[in-house]
Amino acid sequence: MPIIAGASPPGHDSPAALARGFLTGGVVGASPAALVVGAVTGKPPLFVAGLVLPALCGLLFFLAGRPRRIREAAAVPRTALAVVESLQAVRGEASDIPVRFELSVAPDDGPSYRVEITQDFNLVDLPDYRPRGVVVVQYPPDRPWRVRIVKRPTPQWEERAAAARLDSAPATVTVTAPPEGGAFCLVAPLGLLLGAAAVVLPFRADLVGQDVTAKPPSAARPSVTSTSSASSTSTTVVSSVSGTVALGPGRSFLDKGELGRALGSLTRGGDTRRALTVVVRERLLSIVFSPSGTRTPGFDPRTLPRSRFSALVEDATATLGVRSPRTWQITADRLTGSLVIRVAVSGAEGTASLEADGQGRVVRRAPAR
Amino acid sequence: MGWNVYLVLWCGVFGAVALTGYVRSLAGMTRAQRTVRTTGRIERVDEPRHGSSPKDGIAVVVSFQDPATGEEFTVTNDGERGERVGVAWTGREIGVHYPPGRPHAFRFADHPSEGGRGLGWPAFALFLVYAGPVTVAAVERGWPWALVGFCGPWALYAAYHLPGNVRDRNRRIDALDAMAAVPGRVVAVLKSVSTDDDGHTSTHLVPVVSFTTLDGRAVTAYCESALPDPAGSRGLDVTIHYTPHDPAVFVLDVEAERRSWKRDMAVNVVGVVIIAAAAVAGVIAW
Repeated sequence: MPIIAGASPPGHDSPAALARGFLTGGVVGASPAALVVGAVTGKPPLFVAGLVLPALCGLLFFLAGRPRRIREAAAVPRTALAVVESLQAVRGEASDIPVRFELSVAPDDGPSYRVEITQDFNLVDLPDYRPRGVVVVQYPPDRPWRVRIVKRPTPQWEERAAAARLDSAPATVTVTAPPEGGAFCLVAPLGLLLGAAAVVLPFRADLVGQDVTAKPPSAARPSVTSTSSASSTSTTVVSSVSGTVALGPGRSFLDKGELGRALGSLTRGGDTRRALTVVVRERLLSIVFSPSGTRTPGFDPRTLPRSRFSALVEDATATLGVRSPRTWQITADRLTGSLVIRVAVSGAEGTASLEADGQGRVVRRAPAR
Repeated sequence: MGWNVYLVLWCGVFGAVALTGYVRSLAGMTRAQRTVRTTGRIERVDEPRHGSSPKDGIAVVVSFQDPATGEEFTVTNDGERGERVGVAWTGREIGVHYPPGRPHAFRFADHPSEGGRGLGWPAFALFLVYAGPVTVAAVERGWPWALVGFCGPWALYAAYHLPGNVRDRNRRIDALDAMAAVPGRVVAVLKSVSTDDDGHTSTHLVPVVSFTTLDGRAVTAYCESALPDPAGSRGLDVTIHYTPHDPAVFVLDVEAERRSWKRDMAVNVVGVVIIAAAAVAGVIAW
């Protein structure tokens, strides 16, 4: 059927429509992904972002569509007479059923045109509408295809409709709504995929780590996302379950600032991962991290009293009868409830140790045996 | 720490919304304040067709004048036009309101009124600002905080308005005694059938009564209650009791209406007592 499309309004397949489709798809993909990833990895900000994002997007669309809505609302609808060419009740068991009409609209100030509409009518009122009957219709001046039959016309229009004899418009001048932009359907899935990927990919390490820690501890092994950086002076290896820093020759973790730097490199990025155990030796630092999402008694390794470590090693060396220490080791954990720091020194006389609390105060000494 | 960040964000966002709303209201810029409110006059009333839908209201032709331009408009209640016209007689005054400069976007209101200050949304935003800390306190420190935080102000608000509500109920009960009685008739029964997602159909019946007041006004009105068998009530003769100065206020059974208002008053008082008791329980358990 030849069709005269109404003046196509801007927006279909325009860059703005593409952006809207992409943004909608992106939010639809990113929001559930953020909710799931936030819940699985135990990151509340991500979870909250998953809730806030759709609200922000909705607000953005609301504000963006406001000028158009104001423009459309300001337009005075046009009233005209129309002839019912045909009508057909679509379906329904309720008292109000949708009815499809084919109308010939005869505007006072323009040529007649045909249009197809669907409008709800009460079954009792339906006999008022018959083919070739004249009805009063209204439509927005800029969208002549959005015709609505006026069920209760004013007395003036009622008289006009009763007295009018209208001819049908040729079927060739059918006005229809411009087709919906197909590009929207094209970019929306793309946005959805990219939105979901943008959330999932940065956190894939945490998601994979979750899988590893879900297995028995013996099955846990360093994640494939382990990163290694080697320089001339130290080597750092971090995985989702542990981290180690090995210093080069001639350096010691008792040197000023050395331990702080090493701990920082293992917990960088503001990540507040908690540690199960921290072991410090002359040139080797090891941390076993608490599995995420479990309630094991961990602690923040950055809160250790690092400045006291050197004094504790000296204390153990000087007061425990170990006169020629060959090795020393500091172990920190809070498996018994409170943070306990154990310092062990070994030498020709045997092994001696002392225990200190979370502030580095000595609470127990065990001389060399 | 984590909670506090979200709480601050929550309070900040809704506090800003509330502040914006109150500033707009003070400046007279809210939609409710800018809306043009005028009085329309019902020029013609069409008798409802038996069996038709009640949702569109009684078909009326209304004339009103735009105060800004002086232009006269004659309109009908076709489609979505605000409040449903449930009582109509020729010459009745009803409220007509529309955005400034757009009389074609008119809406009807059952009674002409001044309109509000548009403080509904700002007040709701303010409530959300208040509800945030109370909820956090209830989660972190125990349920008494919820009882005290929510029921306390609610009880105070309800107690403050209780005397006014009681006076209003008493006035309505007194008004029942001053009603005039005239004969009326059920001229049609309107029917609305809807189907839910499970395929269940429900039918809503609304009898329409017609009566003439002592001063000659022919009133057509929806009468949604007080008829024992609405489906078969068409043609039934009834006695209508109406308020002489406003026939829109009418009842069929004065005694039932009196009992209803007394029950309403009792429910009001008991409600305030329950809320206050909940607040007191919260204080005791604190």
